[in-house]
Amino acid sequence: MEQEEAERSTTVVTSTSEDSSLDPISRVRKLLFRQMLVGIKDGRFFLGNFHCIDKQGNILLQDTVEYRSIRRSSPSPTEQRCLGMILIPSSCRTSCHVDCSIEEQLSLIQLKE
Amino acid sequence: MQPISEQESSRNCDDHVWADVSPLLSAACTHLNDGELIHGDNFNLFAAMSALEIMDPKMDSGMVSAFYSIDEAIESGFAPVPISSDTSVNVESIIDIMDHLLVCEATWHTGHSLAQTVFSCLYVLRPERTSSDPLLHSYCRVVRATCRAVVSLVSEARTNEEEDLLTMTYGLPFSGDEDAKGLSLLNAVEETICRQLRACKATSSKRKSLKELEPLQTNPHLEESFCKALLCRLRFRKHFLHILNCMKRPQGRGFELARKHIVSCLSELDSVLESAEFLSLDLVKNGENEIDERTTASGRYPIGFDPTLNKRLSAPTPPRDIKLLSWKKALDYYVKLLHNLDQICALSMEPDLDFVLQFVIQFQKSRPDLVSRAHLQLLLVQDGKLYGRDTFFDIFARAVALDVTKDHVLQKNEYILQLSQLMINLLKILCANTPWQRRKLGKILNDWSIFNVQMGINVSQAMQQDKSRTSKNGDKSLLILNQIHGWLEEQINWVALRFLILGFELELYSPSEFCMVYWYMYITLCKLAERARVRVLIVVSTEERKAKKNKNYHRNMAREDRISLWVLLLQCQTCLAQGLTVMLSALRNQGMCLKSEGPFNTESEKFTQHFELLQKASLPEYDAYESFTKSTSHTRLDYLPVQEYFRNAQKIARDIKVGFAKDPDKLAEVRGLEQVAEHNIVAVNLISQDSSLKVSFEFTHHPYFATAVVRRS
Repeated sequence: MEQEEAERSTTVVTSTSEDSSLDPISRVRKLLFRQMLVGIKDGRFFLGNFHCIDKQGNILLQDTVEYRSIRRSSPSPTEQRCLGMILIPSSCRTSCHVDCSIEEQLSLIQLKE
Repeated sequence: MQPISEQESSRNCDDHVWADVSPLLSAACTHLNDGELIHGDNFNLFAAMSALEIMDPKMDSGMVSAFYSIDEAIESGFAPVPISSDTSVNVESIIDIMDHLLVCEATWHTGHSLAQTVFSCLYVLRPERTSSDPLLHSYCRVVRATCRAVVSLVSEARTNEEEDLLTMTYGLPFSGDEDAKGLSLLNAVEETICRQLRACKATSSKRKSLKELEPLQTNPHLEESFCKALLCRLRFRKHFLHILNCMKRPQGRGFELARKHIVSCLSELDSVLESAEFLSLDLVKNGENEIDERTTASGRYPIGFDPTLNKRLSAPTPPRDIKLLSWKKALDYYVKLLHNLDQICALSMEPDLDFVLQFVIQFQKSRPDLVSRAHLQLLLVQDGKLYGRDTFFDIFARAVALDVTKDHVLQKNEYILQLSQLMINLLKILCANTPWQRRKLGKILNDWSIFNVQMGINVSQAMQQDKSRTSKNGDKSLLILNQIHGWLEEQINWVALRFLILGFELELYSPSEFCMVYWYMYITLCKLAERARVRVLIVVSTEERKAKKNKNYHRNMAREDRISLWVLLLQCQTCLAQGLTVMLSALRNQGMCLKSEGPFNTESEKFTQHFELLQKASLPEYDAYESFTKSTSHTRLDYLPVQEYFRNAQKIARDIKVGFAKDPDKLAEVRGLEQVAEHNIVAVNLISQDSSLKVSFEFTHHPYFATAVVRRS
């Protein structure tokens, strides 16, 4: 597994130089199967593998773990549980992060402009 | 970002970070065409459809509702202890909690999860918090102990269906040691309230001596009513737990005591109901008369309940809001449950299979709930014995009028052991709910018939070998086995008949299919009645022989009468089934009734769908559909025997009514059969004269024998 991950990140690193020239759809396609952390309105977070996204921005995550705080006031200890495949409607999504290397992050930031 | 992401990122290697991709995603989304998705090769739309939708209240059990956790709810003062500094408010609130808990418990019994019902109460979830308030504390402890008793009862009996939620306790605080003390605490509290009640009734002179006793609440005029309202609620809990404990004792030893507690329980329930008048005074004052929906006697919503707190523990169900029973309905539920339990406790426990089977069928007619069915099943089958007392070999032998000793060689016989296991399974299935029961009965028929064939071959081979040896004083084992084998066939047909009848109860047959159903019932009843008659002859002649041999022999006439009456009842039903088959097929042949062919499947397909399980068990041995079509394709209404069948049924029903004089349930059934026969005779007469009449069938007189209703045009 680790080896695989290492390989994947190297390919990502090598491809970063061309990334900025690609259209957003191809870039998002490159994010598939990566670990994604999605925060939603009620304060929960979901960590899972990015599986699919549609035009409306609804995201499917696979092998998801849900994290939630036990108390409303922060900081608070968290509880977690496994959920499997979930659909996060775009309407309740408040944040969305992908696990990546620093170089890649730079390219992603570039893209924003 | 928030704490988690920081944790996550620190966990990652130094060159890995969480990059915000929201802008990228929204950019991609604007570029996507309608209906287009970004997905990998392993994407499967069908699998994606089963994804849990977050923030959908019907799917997402983790949605944060009022509180993030139980602890937070408690800290926020959602369930304070004491509930109020005002003692009057305190007592009123406790009564509300008691009532609502009763409703929750009844709702749980009827198929919802414990987490969403009884354990939606914070006081039950954390009983240690209430230790300063003995009244609430003891009540909650006893409720928990009762829940445990019910869970262990139902899981032991396993009369519940797979999807039944009653026994799911995962994640709930279910520690038993403390709860076991609840009953003694409750007794102490009851004692105190009794004294308070006496104190407020007492005259002023006596009152002095009782002065050290603090009243329940501040208003002296209401003291008596409050005391009474509390007492009946506490006592109900006490007696109910006692009933469960008594009934758990092996071989029905605690039944006598349980019946006493049932009587007390019922009378306390009456008092609980009466107390509503006093408790709902406020409600009446405010002009609200909505009694139907409320879950407490007073009509207020109780303090300290939040069904969403445990939502995530209610798996495997989706996190739906459940609808609690109303307070009145919950009381009705308990009354029914107590009556059902009383029926079980009143069982005379005769070691007679016919008796047991008839009792179970009768018991099931009132559609008893899971808890009482679990009790019945535990009584019938304990340690592999009937009532935990009689081995099934004894019971089989008794069924064919043989007496066997405890250490008989056959007790360990392979066939007897197998047959005992089949019988145990059958009894357990008969205690299940009706749909499940029918499904299982259909499935076990195959086991029974395979076993029947195996035993038949083996026994007849052994008999032939035995004949060649002609050992006169050899043991009678083979003879016994042979007789039991004969009885086996009767039993199989009994199961098949029950399977067919349950189809009516579950409304599985459409009117156009009645003809084939009655035909199947007819052939099954014929076989069953024939076999049963043979057995009656054996039983009666054996008993007579025994009585001749030994003058002091006490003949069990009640039993002999019972099975002979039963055989007559079967014959009566046979005639009715035959009459109905001929009548229905004739109507169809003459075009006065719809054929059973719909647009979707043919008659033979329907035939297979309904009776496949019976045919697999070779009931009957011949091609049933062919025989059915042959026997029904040429029937006509002016064919005299149609009326004759009903007349016979009517005659037999009249004869056996006398025999059932002492058994009101059976008598009602026989009356019903008689009426079905009468009405159908009239109907046949009318229809054969005028073929323009419209005929329909109704179950007004009997649950599964239809009555023809004739209408002009």
